[in-house]
Amino acid sequence: MKKYFVAGTLLAVSAAIQAEVAVIINPSNNTALDKEAIAKIYLGKMKSFSNGTKVNAVGLSSGDSVGKFTANVVGKSSSQYKAYWSKLIFTGKGTPPEALGSEQAVIDFVAANADAIGYVDSAKVTDSVKVVGKF
Amino acid sequence: MKKQLIAGALCCALNGTAYGADLRINGFASIVAGSASDDNMAVFGYEDEVSFSNESMFAIQVSSDLGDGLSATAQIVSRGRDDYDAKFEWAYVSYDINDSLRISAGKMRLPLFRYSDFIEVGYAYRWIRPPQSVYNFAFSTPTGLSLLHNTQIGDWDSTAQAVYGRFEGDFIAVTGQDRGKLNDILGFNWTMTRDWLTLRASYVMAETTISLDNSAQLTGLANALQQFGIQDEYNKLLINEDDGTFIGVGFAIDYNNFLLDGEYTEIEVDNSLLAEQSQYYISVGYRLNDWTVHLTYESNDDEHPTSRFNQVPETITAANGEQIRVSTDSTNPNAPLIKDAMNNALRTAHNDTNTVSVGARYDFHPSAALKVEWSRLDNDLSNQDNDVIAVAIDLVF
Repeated sequence: MKKYFVAGTLLAVSAAIQAEVAVIINPSNNTALDKEAIAKIYLGKMKSFSNGTKVNAVGLSSGDSVGKFTANVVGKSSSQYKAYWSKLIFTGKGTPPEALGSEQAVIDFVAANADAIGYVDSAKVTDSVKVVGKF
Repeated sequence: MKKQLIAGALCCALNGTAYGADLRINGFASIVAGSASDDNMAVFGYEDEVSFSNESMFAIQVSSDLGDGLSATAQIVSRGRDDYDAKFEWAYVSYDINDSLRISAGKMRLPLFRYSDFIEVGYAYRWIRPPQSVYNFAFSTPTGLSLLHNTQIGDWDSTAQAVYGRFEGDFIAVTGQDRGKLNDILGFNWTMTRDWLTLRASYVMAETTISLDNSAQLTGLANALQQFGIQDEYNKLLINEDDGTFIGVGFAIDYNNFLLDGEYTEIEVDNSLLAEQSQYYISVGYRLNDWTVHLTYESNDDEHPTSRFNQVPETITAANGEQIRVSTDSTNPNAPLIKDAMNNALRTAHNDTNTVSVGARYDFHPSAALKVEWSRLDNDLSNQDNDVIAVAIDLVF
């Protein structure tokens, strides 16, 4: 019993260390995206996929994945990311990706929309979406 | 219309995650408490007692995506110094012509300075207030058109904007509250960002008119000049359909948590009472996790060139050949000369201040920042200084 507990704890620890954020798109979307392109999408600097389709990006309103995504992909803390967008929102220069309430909502949204992109904890990814990168 | 707005708000509240929810409500707020140490001169609107309302404000923005690149936005701002009266600060319609070109029409802020557009969104910058020596003319929101172009030039992100419009309202120019208008405002600004470096240049011109009516002295001086037929100096005193120009250049560095910003601006309204103004600031900062500390030096220098002084004659020759003394009372040989009154008016426009600020920002919550800032303003003409300490909470939602 005790052994299992220890093993379980170790697993949990390693899972926490390895937990990455996965950037996901609809399985029907065949475009390749690198980190730089994803960052540009989430900063509003790139509005279409390479095939010309308008990007419909979503984010998360809260949780560990937000900070991980902004830090590892966009290169900003979540506060800096928020400050960046507040400059654009309140001056009519842009609209940030809509923030959804849960990782499941992001997966459902991306699975249902061919033009969608989102990010979730990589452990929560399902077959209904395609992973373009883990960060 | 109102019903639809409420219905829209309800729909989004109940179904916030739905794709295509077309109404967005955002907001920002600042709660600022501050005080000056001395009552010799007001600094940033503070006197020597604690004020919670002077710089506090609350704003709500409602924007509706009407589809096909068309959107409508209104921003309602309520400021403590106006007894929290709510005002429409921005109200415009935008249309995305393509991915890089957006045209907007309506009431929008004049994009003079780097932080002009979001000057009230405290959460977006590190200070409690952007350097006031430079940002003293930042609140005008003309009605007009804006064309915004975003593109990529090599490794640089380029944002270029052209604006055209008109503004009518109150100015802080002569007495502190003066009616005026800016006609045919034409402006262009260009921002280039690459990695950790941002460069910006801005040029705005406008036909400028500001009333002297609130100053009895200046009105009297203007009348006297007109009575003596000194038309040229009369025109140079009035701020009436004169050519106003604004030039601004700025840079920002955000490198490995090291921050360095600066802006230099010049404002001039030709042939008017308003002095040639030049101002700049330079600010360093360092970011450490959720903390940012910063130090800023700013300077403001407004002055008329010496060629503007002593232009009013002491005497004029009347039609009958008689020499008339140009004074407030030509029957009294000791009455003050109009020349001296004019020189005095030009001299009063002289302003020379510098300010040092030290502050810290702490991002204690994903949507809120706590700021503390100390500033000392030095007036080099009166040899007075005054300190302001302020604490602020800035939020976005």
